[in-house]
Amino acid sequence: MQIPLGLAVAVVLSALLVSAVAAQISARSARLEIVATVKQAMVLLAAQARPLLVADDTWRTYTLLRNTAALLPGADLAQTRAAILDADGRFVAGSDPARLATGQPALGRTINGKKLPAPADVRSQTSVEGSDGGVSMIDPIQSEDGQVLGFVYVDVDGPVFKPDWAAVATPALIGALLAAVVLVPAGWWVGEHMARPVARIANCIARIGRTDAALLKAELPVETDPELNRISEAVHRLLSEMEVRQAAEQRALSAERLAAVGRITAAVAHEINNPLAGLLTAAQTLRLHGGSEHTRLRSVDLIDRGLRQIQTMTAALLPQARIEDRPLEPGDLEDVLTLVQPEAIRLQVRLHSDLEVTSAFRAPSAMVRQVMLNLLLNAIKAAGDGGAVHISLSGNEHRIHLAVRNTGAKLTPVMLEARIATERTNDPDGFGLWICREIAVRFGGEFDLADSSTSATELQFWIPNHDAHEQVAVAG
Amino acid sequence: MLRRAVLKLALGTAGSIGAAAHGAGLRTEARIRIGLTSVILADQIAFLSRWGQYLSLKTGCRVSFIARDSYQGILDLIFGGQLEAAWICGYPYVLHQSRLELLPMPLYEGKPLYQSYLIRPKGDADGVRGWADLKGRVLAYSDPLSNSGWLVPQAQLRAAGVAPRDLRRGFFTHGHRNVAEAVAARLAQAGCIDGYVWETMRRQKMAAVEQTEVIWKSAQYAFPPLVARDGVAADIIESLRTALVNMQGDAEGRTLLDALNLDGFRQESPKLFDAIAALAAAQDRAS
Repeated sequence: MQIPLGLAVAVVLSALLVSAVAAQISARSARLEIVATVKQAMVLLAAQARPLLVADDTWRTYTLLRNTAALLPGADLAQTRAAILDADGRFVAGSDPARLATGQPALGRTINGKKLPAPADVRSQTSVEGSDGGVSMIDPIQSEDGQVLGFVYVDVDGPVFKPDWAAVATPALIGALLAAVVLVPAGWWVGEHMARPVARIANCIARIGRTDAALLKAELPVETDPELNRISEAVHRLLSEMEVRQAAEQRALSAERLAAVGRITAAVAHEINNPLAGLLTAAQTLRLHGGSEHTRLRSVDLIDRGLRQIQTMTAALLPQARIEDRPLEPGDLEDVLTLVQPEAIRLQVRLHSDLEVTSAFRAPSAMVRQVMLNLLLNAIKAAGDGGAVHISLSGNEHRIHLAVRNTGAKLTPVMLEARIATERTNDPDGFGLWICREIAVRFGGEFDLADSSTSATELQFWIPNHDAHEQVAVAG
Repeated sequence: MLRRAVLKLALGTAGSIGAAAHGAGLRTEARIRIGLTSVILADQIAFLSRWGQYLSLKTGCRVSFIARDSYQGILDLIFGGQLEAAWICGYPYVLHQSRLELLPMPLYEGKPLYQSYLIRPKGDADGVRGWADLKGRVLAYSDPLSNSGWLVPQAQLRAAGVAPRDLRRGFFTHGHRNVAEAVAARLAQAGCIDGYVWETMRRQKMAAVEQTEVIWKSAQYAFPPLVARDGVAADIIESLRTALVNMQGDAEGRTLLDALNLDGFRQESPKLFDAIAALAAAQDRAS
């Protein structure tokens, strides 16, 4: 909007300035033009009047003047008049006989405010300027052999030389109007064509980080203008690098998931292994002492419990290892708790949980399970011997909320950021908290320490309660 | 032999029949060229063409009008044999009466007479009031051979005691209409004009005349006559005479007369011009 408006103002101003200058120049040249026209008319009159002077033909001299004077500038407003004078400088006839009376002396007298020279002093074309800006011009008419037969006399009043500002202004204004009408839309079009691609590039840049890089790349305009093209290409390169980074993040997430799986597999294997010894022992007991009903029942019970334990553990592990595209369920919290139970028992940490769901979960399960798992493992580790960990999962129609509280050494915000930064630089031991932060940001949520006055550390995580496709749109 | 005689007779009869027929019908060889000046109408070519056609029909000759801007020009043509007739003024007629035959006279207001007017610009407060006031003034004449436009004024000026050198300037405008224009434009402070022309211009509401006023009218003089050259065939002159006199008898003739502001034509005696002849003689003595 600003470019075309500025352009319009510039165009109109230029047109007006040019017109003003042209008007000045025109006014100056007008005087010269008028004088030139008068001189031409005088040449014509002299040639036509010569034989009439010789024949002393007053009437035909008058008709000649009457017809020719009409050609003079200012004649239409009776501001110019012409006459033929005889050799003594008297009027023979004038275009305006009332003012220029036949037989009246002219040369050597003051006519119309101008003192005219004596006949003897007019040897060639003579001009007499008037105080009003007018001029009287006298030219001798000579026979072939140089005898002065008479004179041509033309008198121009001052107002004839005044520039006709209205006549000059009209084309100037029309020109300015035309320029505005033609150039403003043209400028607007040019402005749009310049501004629009810039706006599109700016728009793409603004959405970096919040929108998928591949999508942004598709939206980048291809420009013919070299300057704009350089910008566009730079943004393109940036987006390509972002794509690489985003792919790396994806791999990191997958790797982390697998690493997490790897971490708990050992514990799970341990948990599967534990009941196996008992199961084998019970089977042996059954073989040896199966006859006794009491022993048989007790052994079957043990076997049953042990198998169920194994079943639960593997059931909990399966979803974690598999990339499932299903929304989060309350059961997912149970699964994760089951997975971390061995670790908690090992470190003698008490685990508590609560679940509050007021509307259906729509967030993808894999992400949230990952976060729950990581937070719990970290909390258990931090709580240490005899500590306590509390996890609460809640969700309403807008958000899914996770909070994990643990006793033990307090984690400060500075320490949290330092930890995340450390994990970023490819520390295979950690990754846990950095992944939580990444997932939160990626889905338009947050991951941070809660403001807690107690000595407990509470980490909070939330994401919008939308399914996977909506997640991206919301974040964008 | 007999055959030859019969043939000769036959041819001869045919020839004479042809000659008779030629004589009785349109005499295509005969023409009447009439000269005129802008006393009245030199500019009105369409009118002259119509009048020419009318007269051609009535006379059986080819009638055409030739215009010149001075009486002297017309006289040169007629005496040079290049005109058969002319419409001139009384003054040149009396000067060359012996060589010119008087044709029917135009009737203006029922009479073959007119007056000379002295005119001045309308509403000219300290203007010319009479011939005596012309001292130191500019006076416009029409033609050097004009009765009303020069001869009569000369007599009046002499009577008023104004000599030609007493005028600031006197000039000829080569036409009565131009006298009115010169006075209207104040090129001259007074002008001498044919009264018939002035009245006809006023009837036609011409601007130049409406800006002038009459300050003096002369006695009545013989109207500018149509004359024929001595030496033109009598029958041709007769046919023209008849055509002119009969103009008032038919509708088209009356239309043409009306355009001329005339009532008709009537043959008069040369004695009508005695007054002008007297003026001419007086002028001759004075110059």
